[in-house]
This record gives sequence, structure tokens and C-alpha cells, in this order.
Amino acid sequence: MNKFLRSNLAKHEAILLAVVIGEWFYFNSVGAHFGSLDNTFDIIRHSVEIGLLALVMTPIILTGGIDLSVGSLLGLCAILFGKLWRDAGLSPVTAGICTIGIGALAGGLNATLITWLRLPPLIVTLGTYSLFRGLAEAITHGVDTFTGFPSSFLFLGQERFWGIPAQAPIFIAVTVAVWLLVHRTTFGRSFRAIGYSPEGARYAGLPVDRRIAMVYVLAGIVSAIAAIIYTARLGQAKADAGTGYELYAITAVVLGGTSIFGGIGTVHGTLLGVAAIAVLSNGLVHARQPREVAGMLTGLLLILALSSSVVPKIFARLRSRRHTAPPNVPAVKTS
Amino acid sequence: MKYFREISVALALMALLVALAMVAPAFYQPQPLLSLATREAPTLIVACGMALVIICRQIDISVASQFAICSVCAGLLAAMKLPLIVVLPASICIGAVLGSINGALIAGLGLPSIVVTLATMVTWREALRWQRQGEFVNLPDNVQWFGLSQASGQWTIIAIALALLVILAICLKRLAAGRFVYAVGSDAEAARLAGIPPQRVTFLTFAFMGALVGLAAMMNVVQSPQVDPKSGTGIELKTIAAVVVGGVAISGGRGNLWGAFAGLLLLACVSPALTHLHVESYWEKAIQGMIILLAVVADGIRTRRGNT
Repeated sequence: MNKFLRSNLAKHEAILLAVVIGEWFYFNSVGAHFGSLDNTFDIIRHSVEIGLLALVMTPIILTGGIDLSVGSLLGLCAILFGKLWRDAGLSPVTAGICTIGIGALAGGLNATLITWLRLPPLIVTLGTYSLFRGLAEAITHGVDTFTGFPSSFLFLGQERFWGIPAQAPIFIAVTVAVWLLVHRTTFGRSFRAIGYSPEGARYAGLPVDRRIAMVYVLAGIVSAIAAIIYTARLGQAKADAGTGYELYAITAVVLGGTSIFGGIGTVHGTLLGVAAIAVLSNGLVHARQPREVAGMLTGLLLILALSSSVVPKIFARLRSRRHTAPPNVPAVKTS
Repeated sequence: MKYFREISVALALMALLVALAMVAPAFYQPQPLLSLATREAPTLIVACGMALVIICRQIDISVASQFAICSVCAGLLAAMKLPLIVVLPASICIGAVLGSINGALIAGLGLPSIVVTLATMVTWREALRWQRQGEFVNLPDNVQWFGLSQASGQWTIIAIALALLVILAICLKRLAAGRFVYAVGSDAEAARLAGIPPQRVTFLTFAFMGALVGLAAMMNVVQSPQVDPKSGTGIELKTIAAVVVGGVAISGGRGNLWGAFAGLLLLACVSPALTHLHVESYWEKAIQGMIILLAVVADGIRTRRGNT
């Protein structure tokens, strides 16, 4: 069974890789400057924040959870960073470290409610989604914008470091860390075990609550990092920063082959999912298509990606039903 | 206590109303209250549908996009001088079709509802923006308030929403179809063994949700001389929050519409209450978030005590 799932997943990723490559060649032939190095860096620069959120969303969804609050937390962290720097007079580095601490605390709030009180992650993070965004609006009175950051800080978001976008090394570092965590440590194994069966994982002696808490705190920390990069890229921090990012991140993760029920998925699949969305939305602009088409295609791609794993099973079931006496047809999972 | 959650939400709502009566009696002017109720009536209709969907152990986050599409289509039809008697069923049908698409993907293919409706939400929203480019639709004069005076139009909208709430609440409790929703929500496999077709129930729940969204969109369209293509933004989270605060379990099979109604009233009163208590309105979202968390934390602590 495991082998079947793994090979199925590998096939999913191979198809997704083909989609990304196909997109790239298509847009390269249609758009004039699409394939240029500048544009490639542009794509990377614009997808780092969503990419970071998608990376840490992967272990969360692997454990069978979800985090709707990451986009709001990005907004809250961005304006707290601005507040710490401008009003508390901290240097960007100190303010950044404090912001990451705040992100960890916010992730800890999610983690506490989910593990200690056994509340469904969807509802807890729906509440904190509203809470974090609301706090960001309340702190800035909805209008206050933080700008005028020193150029040494803006370097992080807008300049190049050894020829590549300056935020790329951070993204690569986080990617490698999350990849190692999920694929090369016992933590990653336990995330999958929890996703398959939390009760089974507990009987197997895994500290289920601590592992679940870990992924939500990690999401908080990385959301804060994404907030700092976002602020550096745009040169400003506003209360509406990162609106809707949680949905892009979830889309990328699911597109990358991670099961929303938990237990199955890979980090490189998520990276491919992020790439597929980023290349599509950038390429369509170069192909002089309306921006909205990118969103529509992303939605359709998501449904296709989901159905691709289900439709063959349904056909197989129909075929087996025709040949043999009707067995107990497994009920369709409905949550 | 069986209705602990519903009662505690109702008590919280009463406490808020009493506090307002003592501190800010200005809250109880009839005119602003009437317009508040009218504004929230479409949300109530959607919340009823959302309660059904969540009781059925699913979720629908595409309602805002459905709402916008129904609003714009209804507006375009009305602008073609079609009578309201045609436009209203048309809007409901469009909603039902959109809901059926969700239902077909979720019940037919067995895909997870949160992802399917995430995908359809993005697809419909972007399709609408692509086609209309955010353009407002101007309505002919006889559409606003159904061609009635403002006061009677407002009362009509409120009456429709409340009647729907009462009828649905009774049906959900008394009719076999209503019990099917609970059965499928608490255990689809057991429901199937009991002879209930879970897929059909799920499909119909989503189709019905879509129809309700179509109706709600229409109730919203008649409130203004123009149709905003962004109307309904955020309604999915607002209704999910109301339903959850009102004690409908996200794990399905538990809760009722009265609780959802109380939850919606509580959340809807936050914003005007803030204005009257002289708190900056920027706190609204944070306070709504706090209410959601408090409601579920109270539940969590209760079950935790129950276990140990």
C-alpha cells in the first residue's frame, strides 16, 4: 500500500514538473522577455513569501491540520516590525529578531488551542485569522503605513546578492531545513504517522501533541520571516499585508500532491506547486493575457490535480463492479 | 446540558444588549436597528445554508464568489427590464447550478470540500472579475426595495429571512430529509448502511446552499440602486464564524439553526456596539476573532473537564 501511494505521488510530481516545464516553454515562445534572467529573478522575488508560507504549510497539512492564519500573521508581523523599528527605535536586525519571536508566540497560541484543548485546527486558525488581522488593523488604525526603511534593509527585498535576488538565500535555507525536517528526520515520519492516524501514533509512543505544536510554532516563525521579506520587497508595511496568502499557500501545497487529509505529501511537491502558480501568473502577463485568467487557471488546475488521483480509482471500482458481485463499496470519504 | 452552547451564546448576546441599553441607549433607535437587520438578512440566509453544510460535515468557502456572481447576473437581468418575478428565480437557479458544481465534485468524485470550494472560489471570483472588470451594474428604478417604499421593502427582506430561518429550522428537526443531513454528517458510513444515500444528501446540500446564496444575493441586490461586483466579500468567513459560535460542530452532525442565528446576531452587533461605546471600529475584526476563539475554548474546556 505504502509503495503504491509513494509511486502514485511520484507520478503526481512528475506530471506537475511536466506542467511547469510546459508552462515555461510555452510562455517563453509567446512572451518576449519571459525567459530572460531578469524575469526569472522577478518570478522568484514575487513568490518567496507565498513559497515560505507554503513550505511550512506542508508539515501542517501532513499532520492532517490546516492553518488559515498565516496570511493574517504575516500582516500583523509586518506592521509590528514597522512599529518596533520606527516607534521603538530598534535597528532593523533587532526588530526582525523580535518580530520572529512574536511570530513564534502567535504560532504558539494556535498550537496551544489545538493541542491542549483538542480544538479543530480549521476553527482555531479561523479565529486567529480574524484576530491577527484585526490586531494589525487596530494597531495601525487601519491607515498607518510604515515606510522610509533604510536602504541597508531594503537590500534584502530589492537588491541582488552575488547575482541572485537577496531573499533567495533565505528561501533556499528554509527550503533545505524544511525538506530535511520532513524527509530526513524522525520528526517528518511522525508528522505522517499523525496524519494517518493520530490515535495510532499515540499508541506507537509518539508525543503527538508536542509534534503538532511544533509545526504550528514553525509556521508562526516562518510567517514572521516572510513578513520581514515582504516589507523589504515593498518598502512599506500596511495592515492588509499578505491578505489571501493563506489560500495561495494551501493551493500550492495541495497542487503539489499533499493530501488535505494528512499523511501523504512531499516538500519538493510543494515547491513545484509554488512554481506552477508563480510561472503561470507571471507568464500570462507576458503573454498579454488578463491577470484574472491566472487565477481561474489555478483554480481549474487544483481541481484537475485532485481529480487525477480519484478518477482512475472510480473507473477501477466501476470495472470491478461489472466483473464481480458487488462487494461492500467503500463509502466516499466525506470530510 | 443539551443546549448549553445555544443558551450561553444567547446569554452573551443578552448581556451585550443589556450593557448597551445601560451605557449607550442610542443603540436602540429604531431606524439604525432596522437598517442593521436589513443589511444582515442576506447573511442570515447564507448562514442557514452554511449551517446545513457544516452539519453535513462539509464546508463551503466559495459562497462569497457565488454571491457575487448571482448578484451581478441578477443585476444584469434586471437591467434588461425583466420583471422581478423572473429575476428572483433566475438568481436562485444560477446559485443552485454553482452549488451543484461543488456538490458534484465533492459527492460525485469524493474530493475534500475545503479544497474543492477553495478552487471554485478562486475560479468564479477571477472569472467574474475578468468578464466585468469590476464594473457596477446600474439597476432600473423599480428594482430597489422590490418597487416598494423603503420601509416596507426592508420589512419584506427581514420577513423573508426570518421565515426561511424558522421553516428550515423546523424542517431540519422534523423532516426525514433534515435528519438525513445529521445522519450523514455524524457518520456517512452508518448512514449508508441505514439506507440513506450519503452522496445524494451531500450533493443536494450543496445545491441547496447555492440556491440559498442566490436568494440572499437577490435580497442584497434590491437594497441599493447599483450592484457592486465585490458584494459578499468575506461572507464565507462571517457565516462560518456565526455558525461555529452558535454551536454547530465542525466535525458534523451536531448543532442547529437557532444557535447559528444567535451567533450571527452576536457577531453582527459587534460593529454597531463599538460605535456606540466609542471604541475605534478598527477593533471589529479582532473582537470577532476573540468571540470565535472564546466560543470554541469554552467548548474545549467543557469537553476536557468531561473527559478527566
